[in-house]
Amino acid sequence: MGNVVLYMSMSVDGFITGPDDGPDHGLGVGGERLHDWLSAGGVDPRSHRPLDDANAAIFDEAMATGAVITGRRTFDNAGQWAGDHHDGVPIFVLTRSAPDEPPPGSARYVTDVGDCVAQATAAAGDRDVLLHGAATAQACLRAGLLDEMELQVVPVLLGQGRRLFEDMPPDHVELQLVRVLDGPGVQHLRYRVRKAG
Amino acid sequence: MAIIRLYMTMSLDGYVAGPRDGVDEPMGVDGFRLFNWLDRRDDPGPSGQVYAEVLATRAVIAGRRTYEHAGRWQGDHHDGVPVFVLTHDVPDDAPPGSIRYVTDVRECARQAREAAGDDDVMVHGAGAAQALLRAGELDELELHVVPVLLGQGRRLFDHLPARHVELDLVRRLVTSEPDDLVQHVVHLRYRVRRS
Repeated sequence: MGNVVLYMSMSVDGFITGPDDGPDHGLGVGGERLHDWLSAGGVDPRSHRPLDDANAAIFDEAMATGAVITGRRTFDNAGQWAGDHHDGVPIFVLTRSAPDEPPPGSARYVTDVGDCVAQATAAAGDRDVLLHGAATAQACLRAGLLDEMELQVVPVLLGQGRRLFEDMPPDHVELQLVRVLDGPGVQHLRYRVRKAG
Repeated sequence: MAIIRLYMTMSLDGYVAGPRDGVDEPMGVDGFRLFNWLDRRDDPGPSGQVYAEVLATRAVIAGRRTYEHAGRWQGDHHDGVPVFVLTHDVPDDAPPGSIRYVTDVRECARQAREAAGDDDVMVHGAGAAQALLRAGELDELELHVVPVLLGQGRRLFDHLPARHVELDLVRRLVTSEPDDLVQHVVHLRYRVRRS
């Protein structure tokens, strides 16, 4: 079975968007800075593949995942990826209440975090599941369902915006550092969540 | 001229102390978890190297909270180097040892650089770091990133304006995988780019 892996680009001060993120401004004011390590591509996600080896390796790993889990805010702010994040793999959107209209393409709404992870891992088979979005990452962490984190640490302080880690309980979550890669303009830190017991 | 460099141990989620830090509990609830890597401060590897660099600094800048929580270092942070404590209100009693109080952040930076001469200035504490950053007086950051999420506590970066501060990575050190995974820190050194 594959792992549930969080992929997020984060500033050194812990932000994943600038201020005032929303549907018209998915990464908030100035938040596009966090994606400078990606190539400036077009609509097709694959057109953002970086040229550098290390950055491309991380990108390729993300694109090799067999399912996507994301939160409603990330999904909507990303224009619902027009229904296809990559290669038509199923997208599981965690939301408190599913809208009446069905989501586009390979996306589906799920209201329970346990169901969401179970369905996504089943759909991914032997491949990993790509997790994207702060709220969903926090929900999976709290439920003990997050296996790994692949963070792209971008050398900038944004000052304000939406944080990756916020409103968590004061219980420590111990991590195992499993890999560090340096790309131009970004450090890739991979951690495994150490489960209690 | 001396470089003013922040040295701070930070959890991956950005905390430098656990919740409810105070004089009686300087690292907050369970915050001493952050300092497990210092068990290797005398090792020949990266953690020993970084710790030796801390001790080679010739002046210290700290914020008032950090200074008080640390028991005023009993007047001596290391080797009797001058310690400049940034504070809004200078206490009536004279500071101990090599401590002096400064109320203006630029004046604080100027005095610390002068005292350090050709060596470096160490900054310690979130409040002092933020004040120096806002004033454009922080040159570098050396962050010891600990493999843990504390969940709550005092953040290193908070209350900063929504203005990007670009950084350049100048060094990245990782300890070889220790027997004890809690000591497996990444030391990231960044230079603050002047806009």
